[in-house]
Amino acid sequence: MIKVLAACVIGAALAGGLALVGTTVATNASSSAEPVNESLYNYGDR
Amino acid sequence: MTRDVPRSGESRTRAAVRCAAPWLVGLAAGALALGPGLGRGYLLRYDMVFVPDPPLGPVQLGAGDGFPRAVPSDAVAALLSRLLPADIVQTLLLLAVFAVGAAGAARLVPAGSGRAQAPRLAAALFYVWNPFLAERLLLGQWAVLLGYAGLPWVLAAAVRLGRRRGPARFITALLPAAVGGFSSALLSALVALPAAAAARPRTVPLAAAGIALVSLPWLVPALGSGASTDPAAVDLFAARADTPFGAAGSLLSLGGIWNARAVPELYGHPALAALRPALSLAALAGWVRLLRGGRLGAAGTGLTAAAAAGLGLALLGTTEPGRELLRWLIGAWPGFGPLRDGQLYVAPLALLQAVGLGGAAEWLHGPEGEGRAGPVAAALLVLAPVVLLPGLLWGAGGKLVPVRYPAEWGEVRRIVDGDPDPGSVLVLPWSAYRGLDWAGGGRTVVVLDPAAKLFERRTVWNDDLRVAEDGEVRTVRGEDPAAREAARLAAEGRADAESLGALGVRYVLVEREALPDTAATTGDPLHENKFLSDSDPLEQVHEGPRLALYRIPDLHVEAVKEELSGLEVTGWSATVGSIICSLAASGSNLVPVRPPRPAGNRSRKETPT
Repeated sequence: MIKVLAACVIGAALAGGLALVGTTVATNASSSAEPVNESLYNYGDR
Repeated sequence: MTRDVPRSGESRTRAAVRCAAPWLVGLAAGALALGPGLGRGYLLRYDMVFVPDPPLGPVQLGAGDGFPRAVPSDAVAALLSRLLPADIVQTLLLLAVFAVGAAGAARLVPAGSGRAQAPRLAAALFYVWNPFLAERLLLGQWAVLLGYAGLPWVLAAAVRLGRRRGPARFITALLPAAVGGFSSALLSALVALPAAAAARPRTVPLAAAGIALVSLPWLVPALGSGASTDPAAVDLFAARADTPFGAAGSLLSLGGIWNARAVPELYGHPALAALRPALSLAALAGWVRLLRGGRLGAAGTGLTAAAAAGLGLALLGTTEPGRELLRWLIGAWPGFGPLRDGQLYVAPLALLQAVGLGGAAEWLHGPEGEGRAGPVAAALLVLAPVVLLPGLLWGAGGKLVPVRYPAEWGEVRRIVDGDPDPGSVLVLPWSAYRGLDWAGGGRTVVVLDPAAKLFERRTVWNDDLRVAEDGEVRTVRGEDPAAREAARLAAEGRADAESLGALGVRYVLVEREALPDTAATTGDPLHENKFLSDSDPLEQVHEGPRLALYRIPDLHVEAVKEELSGLEVTGWSATVGSIICSLAASGSNLVPVRPPRPAGNRSRKETPT
């Protein structure tokens, strides 16, 4: 029984994750990876 | 711990598939992660810089007085580029990280009673698809990732050091770390020493000696370099919270890198951020289950100790007393400098969780014939790492895109490398990281200035690291003594041809495309950052839309050819010689051997050590 429950929980989590990824990727498809506003960059931002 | 040997009643084909599966999963994960990067061109990202036909000379082998941060990784990449184009070499090295890591992690999962593949594949996929690997990849630390990929192999070899051919196999397992350089060697030591101690305490010195032996190419020049480490870096490079669960929670789920720009897309989404710690907890539960079953032997004890120590090191930088201690250590001896990047040391925890997830998948799967729910749950668990970390997919969400070098870069290199006279190349603008528009489509590739790796001779560039925190840019002092001296001259307004020539500089390369707008509009790029002046007697040897190259007259240049010292040559010889001998003597290597022959009813499952 516990494994049936585990399968359902994991499956639901993965399905939710996939749906989230799909919608987010579709929404953000046209965004660029980094802002283009300078030529000299920092090593990074904390 | 299992070896790829056939199980009772298993056909040869099935055994071959089982052996190959983790390698193929690793390769598939690598292909998914790199995505467009599998095409021709160079993947440039922060510290990851590959250049066409990379040079291979004394500088790349460690000559000079800067810290040998890219030794021997750049030299190995250059050597391989003698056989294949450098962009293909880069792709293969990155794919190797995924394949070698996945296969090694799968190998550590104890053989269960059934033939289920899910436990091994769960470990394989988790080890190469987790926040640690994603963030280090986005920071461009491919050499660190090579060492990371070798960790499971190092662990397995360390617990067998006391056996026949154990030392040779240990050296062989250290090959990725040997290529990776100093961070990779440190990670290997963090895993190997506790594992050796747990297996046979008397083999600990042997493990330490083995790691030292493969580290000689970078260790010898590092000990002789005048490089220093700025204790201020402790604050900037400490692990940070990149999830809602604080720094400790972020580290436990294998994230927490200092650089917010190295965090994958969608990483902070509440749903995914909540589910990733759940996956880590499931993996830890699986690890405890394996440990309590006594199925991991010394490898289990050693890896538990290594992961705990690594997590402790990472957490050290998240508290003020811990940072104070780190600052004091680095101030006392620059050799403690690597401790500043605390998140690096959660790598053993990633391995522990990967094997633990294999244990959890095994529990879910259960014995054969027990029903379908268990195998379905186990199969879903295998895929969980990918679904919960979608930001690594397809070039890490577009952050890894292949680019080609403008032809002008090759022209400039031909001029410099064709000059037999010694002397370094000073690179302007005086800043370490560039935003390149070579990818097209309005995209910017942020990367360490490729000029730093373009020439066979030494380059002098500003290796100060600028990091923005709360809107304020803070600077970590660089490690190269020549760069520090050049910066001092510029600050004093004395960085003229004579002074730079006395510093050993023969060429000044100005990257016009990287010049700030103010310098570009004046039309006089040499004035950038107070380097040189109109009255300096410079010979312009290249003038193009992107680059300008100037030569300082011979009479000002006081330079000698960079050569390896006798000690450095000895170090290289010892390392290369020991690796070759070990490969020959170990009777094994990091790639799978031919598919094993079926053993009939005789099980050859290896007893855990």
